[in-house]
Amino acid sequence: MIIEVRRAACEGHGLCEATAPEIYRLDDEGYAQVLVDVTPDVEAAAEAGANVCPVAAILLHR
Amino acid sequence: MVAGGSIAGATAASTLRARGWDGRITLLADEQVPPYSRVPLSKGVLTGALAADAVLLPPLAADIELRLGQRAVALNAHERTIILADGSAIGYDGLVVATGARPRRLARSGQRGELVVRTLDDATAIARRVGAARSAVVVGGGFLGMEVASTLRARGLAVTIVSQEPPLRSLVGRWLADLIVAAAVEGGTEFVLAPGGASLVGDGQVTAVATADGRRPIEADVVISAVGDEPNVDWLRSSGLPLAGGLVVDDRCRVAPGIVAAGDVAARQVAPGVYRRTPHWTNAVLQGRAAAISLLDPDGGPYVPDHYFWTEQFGLDVKIAGELPLAGEPVVVDGELPRSALLQWQRHGEPVAAVAINYRVPVTRLKRLARG
Repeated sequence: MIIEVRRAACEGHGLCEATAPEIYRLDDEGYAQVLVDVTPDVEAAAEAGANVCPVAAILLHR
Repeated sequence: MVAGGSIAGATAASTLRARGWDGRITLLADEQVPPYSRVPLSKGVLTGALAADAVLLPPLAADIELRLGQRAVALNAHERTIILADGSAIGYDGLVVATGARPRRLARSGQRGELVVRTLDDATAIARRVGAARSAVVVGGGFLGMEVASTLRARGLAVTIVSQEPPLRSLVGRWLADLIVAAAVEGGTEFVLAPGGASLVGDGQVTAVATADGRRPIEADVVISAVGDEPNVDWLRSSGLPLAGGLVVDDRCRVAPGIVAAGDVAARQVAPGVYRRTPHWTNAVLQGRAAAISLLDPDGGPYVPDHYFWTEQFGLDVKIAGELPLAGEPVVVDGELPRSALLQWQRHGEPVAAVAINYRVPVTRLKRLARG
């Protein structure tokens, strides 16, 4: 799985980080960034963090 | 079993998986649409600028069974079964109640054409009407009513907001409410204060909104009510579960053994005998997560309310960290009012809240600024 954060869409609400802090973090400018390569054991967490984005800025490519 | 197919339910389902639950997960959704974000409904979807399928959440994992168009009508907590609208019963081991809320309405029986904004269907119904419409009345001066009015005004409609109290004031405090209303007025939105309440006018089709003060009803092509919501707890009336302004949860989103709740349906005790729901996206996400964790481990850790909220209206992108409403006036930390600024509210010299207005800031930094 590959995670794509659409920076143009990201509004920095930080819910991805709140939901899956092991995968997502807001960078210094306030945009979401992906911390780790998504291995199968963290796919569920990556999905949980992507789902909660209120502006659908996180896309998952399976 | 997750009853409710919006963000609280979807978050609970994916959190159960992320936290290692490898048994069956079923998500019951009464709408016919897969889980979607309600956030754009008061914005792009309302005018048709955003396609309806653009609001869908990323698909749930394939091993989460999504049952669309399935509404729970009763719960037997002793037998751990849910009764569906078609009369069938489904058993469960653990239950997440995330059945949300529905809009309050003003129409009398026989009146039709009152529009509300809750579901994707609601928003697309308005989008269909907006194309040919020239005027709108929005009843309700809360976040939803203001966002809806802003969207329709930006689309070129003549917009009037009718509200019982000064818009937003009891929600965010006088200072910020005044700033937002000033931006709305500047953009040509009209406001009518109706302390005695408002009613819809029209035998059959709704054509206007009347206020209790006897002035002439305000006519409009489109009449939208945004006057609050009511929790969907009717299906729980005979369940014996605690109901008080919603389904009562404790500080870990627990309701009863094997039952947790999250989102707009859940009410927390905030003072003795006082129960409050927090019907916002952030809360639905965090409670959905907390509810799932508590279901797997009843002592999994308390749910910590996160006082973060945002709204976009009348050209203002407002992010708020801290407990609302905001008392008094802020300190300008950076930028310039009224168009782009980072603000801090203090009480007795200590920071209590921070607000970014058209000011890009990591939410984590905003939250730090709110705590000092």
